[in-house]
Amino acid sequence: MRDYPEGYLSERPSWTTAAGLADLVSAKLTVVGRGLSRSLLDILAVALLWVLVTYIYLWYGHKIYGYTVIPWWLFGVLTVELGALWGAFGVSPAQRLSGRRLVREDGGSPRLSQRVVYWLAWHVSVVPVLTLLVEPPLHERLSGLRFERVRTTGAAPIPWYRTSTGLYTAGVMVATVVAAIGVTVTWTNLQRLISDAWRTAKFWQALVSPDTSILQASFRDLIVTVFMAVMATTFSVIVAVPLSFLAARNLMKGPLGRIVYTLLRGTMSIVRSIEPIVWAIVFLVWVTARRAPFAGLLALWVHSIADLVKLYAEQLESINPGLIEAITSTGAGRLSVLRYAVVPQIINPYVSFTLYRWDINIRMATVVGVVGGGGIGQRLYSYVSGQQWSLAGTVMLMIVILVWAIDYLSARLRAKLA
Amino acid sequence: MTDAYLRIEDLTKVYERGQVVALRDLSFTVAKGEFLVVIGLSGSGKSTLLRCINRLIEPTRGKIVLDGVEITGLSPSRMRRVRRRIGMIFQQFNLIRRSTVIANTLTGRLGYMPTWKAMIGLFSQDDRERALENLARVGLREKAYVRADELSGGQQQRVGIARALMQDPELLLADEPVSALDPATSHSIMQYLEWMNRERGVTVLASLHFLSLARRYGTRIIALKDGQLVFDGPPKLIDNAKFKEIYGEDAEEVEVR
Ligand SMILES: Nc1ncnc2c1ncn2[C@@H]1O[C@H](COP(=O)(O)OP(=O)(O)OP(=O)(O)O)[C@@H](O)[C@H]1O
Ligand SMILES: [Mg+2]
Repeated sequence: MRDYPEGYLSERPSWTTAAGLADLVSAKLTVVGRGLSRSLLDILAVALLWVLVTYIYLWYGHKIYGYTVIPWWLFGVLTVELGALWGAFGVSPAQRLSGRRLVREDGGSPRLSQRVVYWLAWHVSVVPVLTLLVEPPLHERLSGLRFERVRTTGAAPIPWYRTSTGLYTAGVMVATVVAAIGVTVTWTNLQRLISDAWRTAKFWQALVSPDTSILQASFRDLIVTVFMAVMATTFSVIVAVPLSFLAARNLMKGPLGRIVYTLLRGTMSIVRSIEPIVWAIVFLVWVTARRAPFAGLLALWVHSIADLVKLYAEQLESINPGLIEAITSTGAGRLSVLRYAVVPQIINPYVSFTLYRWDINIRMATVVGVVGGGGIGQRLYSYVSGQQWSLAGTVMLMIVILVWAIDYLSARLRAKLA
Repeated sequence: MTDAYLRIEDLTKVYERGQVVALRDLSFTVAKGEFLVVIGLSGSGKSTLLRCINRLIEPTRGKIVLDGVEITGLSPSRMRRVRRRIGMIFQQFNLIRRSTVIANTLTGRLGYMPTWKAMIGLFSQDDRERALENLARVGLREKAYVRADELSGGQQQRVGIARALMQDPELLLADEPVSALDPATSHSIMQYLEWMNRERGVTVLASLHFLSLARRYGTRIIALKDGQLVFDGPPKLIDNAKFKEIYGEDAEEVEVR
């Protein structure tokens, strides 16, 4: 006899009850939503890129506003088509964001013919949305391809909204969309409907119209900011490494050790809980505003020390005491034990934490600058308060690029160390 | 008592934390060249005893005399001098995971080097050659430049043995050297210890979990229970009644072949 699920014969089918029906509908909606959002995202990305490129090209090349060059209907068709092509033959933004990629049923990478089938079937499957109700969708079934989560060996894959790179990219995309809409609003006569829209539109428009005249000066400030971060990080490492040994519970034994440990950890957590901005203000008063970058540097320095001591010390606390026993038992002296039993266990995490902190310091350096701590942040602040939007926009763009680049670099380096 | 190489008198260890008495007035002697196996239930104080002998753990009370020198009163620097002749191998191998096999082996020489040389890792050519020799001895010559964490458990323990060999040990402390290994590998490791004991004249103190291994390799067995000595004698004297006394009424002997 076949094994029917429990209640299969005695109970009513689930879809005859309201709750069962609701379940079914929501499940189907999820499926459609997933399929649709993947395609829509790619289409949107293509559209965005297109608009951006033409906008920048027309404005800088011909000093006119324009978005598509071609008629809107053609633009629509082309973006949909390009989105489909991107999804079928490359790694599209949606695939990247969801951390998935197309693979054959057996897990291998798709053949060209399969990709072509996938792309062709996509038109019948996705364009008339309802066909997406089938799971797996028609185009995946026909081509014999499916989506598979991209596995990174070692670490769990991080969703895009948890990485700062992902967030910045999303931020830049949203800002661009908003800017484009803002400009469109002034362009048509919709501005009269919302009186304030005009102001914001002008603001956004200025933001995305970089002013190259300040590029050189801003670049100099950018370098000041980077150096503030680098120096703050370096100096804080010099202080934090020795302190971390005094702040590690497993190394600080005996009554005196306990006192030092408690005092140090307590002080550090207080220092850390005060934001770098506040420290910047304190140091601005202290070293006077004329040496603004110095005050910013001190602020980052103090905060970094507190942060690093905690991270380092926790690393020290988790080392394997067995290795210390092993090296001690060879008759090695205290320093040798440190060098052969402790250092090998902490060196990589220490470098990793330092890079991480450097990455934070770059961002913090601009924030600290806003309160007068020097560097690019201060420049940004003076433009914003002077309502020089297009200058501010240029500076913001530079900051975004810098932060993104550093973030990427430090993430890559840290991945190497792990 | 004249040829006692290692003499332990009224050794007591009380762990401050938790007020645990791990060793209670323990006394026994070990002659030079013996292969002494320490057995006992988990928590009976085997690790504590071995670590007191090279003072990785400070005894609370009692005396330890090694080769006529009272270890318990030595200053840190003189203790280091004594320690370099006492090799030790561990249940968890305790190697520098990210370093190469040869780098791990060389750390056995740290006790013989001035600090500045140790700091910059300046091992003499002689030491390097001996490290390769000792690795060859434990069958790991061709693994010398492989990272330690790429080796199997048995291979890692052999690196541990090579590291101990680098110390030119007179005494070897082995704290459950084979508890993390399978039976076949256990025997191969134990045979290296046996070789050190027989061919190099190294006195061995090893704690073991399996009585069958203890019987096979030990020239003498001592048994601990709650930090006290409950048996001291040749392996063949451990009969069923003695076994029940050491391991408790419900214990069954397990054979490791
Ligand atoms: N660092 C410590 N602090 C407090 N108590 C400890 C410490 N180390 C060991 N003990 C206690 O001392 C007693 C003896 O421990 P020991 O590690 O010497 O036993 P063992 O015979 O080696 O056991 P096992 O076979 O499980 O390794 C145990 O009761 C243990 O809980
Ligand atoms: Mg033990």
